[in-house]
Amino acid sequence: MKEMSRLKTVLEKGTFAVTAECGPPKSADPETVLRKGDLLKGKVDAVNVTDNQTAIVRMSSMAACTLLKSAGMEPVLQVVVRDRNRIALQSDILGASALGIRNVLCLSGDHQSFGNQPQTMGVFDLDSIQFVQAVRTMRDQGLIIGGEKLNSGPELFIGAAANPFADPLPFRVVRLAKKVAAGAEFIQTQCIYNLERFEAWMQMVRDRGLADKVAILGGVTPLKSARMAKYMKEKVSGMDIPDRIIQRMEKVPPEKQREEGISICVETIERLKKIPGVKGVHIMAIEWEDAVGEIVERAGLLPRPS
Amino acid sequence: MLLLLCPSRENLGGKVRAEIMKKKRKFTLALFHCQNIAGSSERERQDMEREYDGSLRLFPLPCSGRLEPLHLMKALEEFADAAYVIACPVSGCRYHEGSARARKRVGRTAEILAEIGLEKDRVGIVEADRVDAESLAVLAGELLAKLDRLGPSPVFGRDSKERPDRGEKTGSNPRSAARNRRGLKAGQDMVAEMYRLEQR
Amino acid sequence: MITGEQKPIEEIRGMVEPYKRILVLGCNSCVAECAAGGEKETGMLASALRMAAKMAGKESVIQERTLDRQCVKEFIIRIDDIVDQYDAILSLACGAGVQAVGDMYPEVPVIPALNTEFLGETKEQGYWVENCLGCGDCMLHQFGGVCPLARCSKQLMNGPCGGSKGGVCEVRPDLPCAWQEIIDRLEHFGELERLEKIVPPKNWSKKNSSGPRRIVREDQKR
Repeated sequence: MKEMSRLKTVLEKGTFAVTAECGPPKSADPETVLRKGDLLKGKVDAVNVTDNQTAIVRMSSMAACTLLKSAGMEPVLQVVVRDRNRIALQSDILGASALGIRNVLCLSGDHQSFGNQPQTMGVFDLDSIQFVQAVRTMRDQGLIIGGEKLNSGPELFIGAAANPFADPLPFRVVRLAKKVAAGAEFIQTQCIYNLERFEAWMQMVRDRGLADKVAILGGVTPLKSARMAKYMKEKVSGMDIPDRIIQRMEKVPPEKQREEGISICVETIERLKKIPGVKGVHIMAIEWEDAVGEIVERAGLLPRPS
Repeated sequence: MLLLLCPSRENLGGKVRAEIMKKKRKFTLALFHCQNIAGSSERERQDMEREYDGSLRLFPLPCSGRLEPLHLMKALEEFADAAYVIACPVSGCRYHEGSARARKRVGRTAEILAEIGLEKDRVGIVEADRVDAESLAVLAGELLAKLDRLGPSPVFGRDSKERPDRGEKTGSNPRSAARNRRGLKAGQDMVAEMYRLEQR
Repeated sequence: MITGEQKPIEEIRGMVEPYKRILVLGCNSCVAECAAGGEKETGMLASALRMAAKMAGKESVIQERTLDRQCVKEFIIRIDDIVDQYDAILSLACGAGVQAVGDMYPEVPVIPALNTEFLGETKEQGYWVENCLGCGDCMLHQFGGVCPLARCSKQLMNGPCGGSKGGVCEVRPDLPCAWQEIIDRLEHFGELERLEKIVPPKNWSKKNSSGPRRIVREDQKR
């Protein structure tokens, strides 16, 4: 019998799920990946591995996922449509499943102009929604795009991303509905600092009947410093960091700011736990994987189900 | 000093001209000007060109906005060491946008000159109010005095053999006078050619 | 129209360096509209090249001519009688014109003076924007007349992405988010529910099929 997705199992049981993120290295060194995996082991239900995030060349997500799996972890393969055409995408889906990867997150990807290869062609043969649909069809009907039959389909729990803070606001829920209609089974959101706005979005999600159809995991990122908070507010698109959060970080002396960032993160998770329709949390501790353990513990989310 | 002490405008122009005439000029200025400027009637223009003996070529325009980069470029290619335009101030153009456009076109021409290694100052624009301005004679004189320092254009090489003769006084040498007349005609032909090119 | 921009003169001079007698050939269609290769620009470039040659003490014959179009044989052959006089043609047409002239006169090298850029519109004088990819399968009616392929940086057919902020694309602050425009447009038409349907994967073979595309119309042939 094929192995089930552990993330799916946790969610189906109704347990508040915890996922974290792991960025592959700018190298071919497997040890870096395994070290990060070690920090997260036992603290989370699944680990997302990013796919050349910010269009910067890194070890492939597929390879890093396989390394984490070999260390006994549950990976979530992130796949962007920026770098591969539909042949490569569908092929990678089959390959991922063959390697025992059971979760995939289908994304558009950051534009190539942001990264270290701005002269490349962005592929964008499919968009993220068409990709979700393709994976779902491969899994449930054993068909690839165009209708040709596979000898056997992949076994994957399918996810997509959502940004409750991007424009245009009213359309965000329509887009989420499209992702669900395309076949998304779980959603990980952009990191949340503005809980009022997130709660308003969740209300619209519930009103549309989507909260029962898809498992929403709220994204959180611990702030390392007031400077980081300000940078993210001004420079990173799709972020909503209220001024009071920045002020809170600034009030604390620099050596205490990390701790404050973690506290804010923990408080956010506590609030997320109480929002109906939110089924888990996705912790994106960028280059700060060792904070995840503390956050999960203080948020009362340990131990994780085995 | 001499120039600053003179009270009347006409005198000023005359003094400037006299100063310039004293030097042995090799420099030629193609001067495009809005025809509304004072002292630019047909007769006054001919008088000036004769006086400057080939160093000055005047091209009246109905508005400085009529100027095309090609006019300046052709002038510099064929006979001029510098090509300038006199335009009304941007707020004072009777056709609203004319002098604003002239300014941009001069800028564009300067960019192209820079790309081929010519001094940007060989083209330029001078603002002169159409109503309350110094006459064309004065402006022309001032410009020539200022631009003389640029020296002959490298397009013609240092020994300026390739372009129409000028810089020598009329009457002093019948053969140079004849050459001058040919030079003048070349300039006029050039303008006619440019206007013809624009007929689509 | 097809847009392009002139290469820097230094680059052009490098390309025409080996040739002595050069015909600078302009085009009065698209590239005249975008002020890159029309009669005026051709005159300026030819003049600049002559002046530069003189300054460098280089002997060359540089003459200009502008055709109504450089991509149609009947217009190109108007230089039949003079083309033999030149060692090379410096063409200010778009890539299509440069190649059409090259095909017509394969014995003469044809050098591109422009970098051909995109299919677009003149939004206002001096400002041109890309708006069509030539995908061969136009879906503009589905998107309120705003093309998500040409105008969305990620070519999303089921957009917007998470980077749309205040109607601006995350890739460049001067780029409007095409999906914001699509939503606004459809909302205005009362057709917003079009966007609830998932747009299936694009048939790119109409753009990139088996090599360069062709159109054949028998009724148009002689």
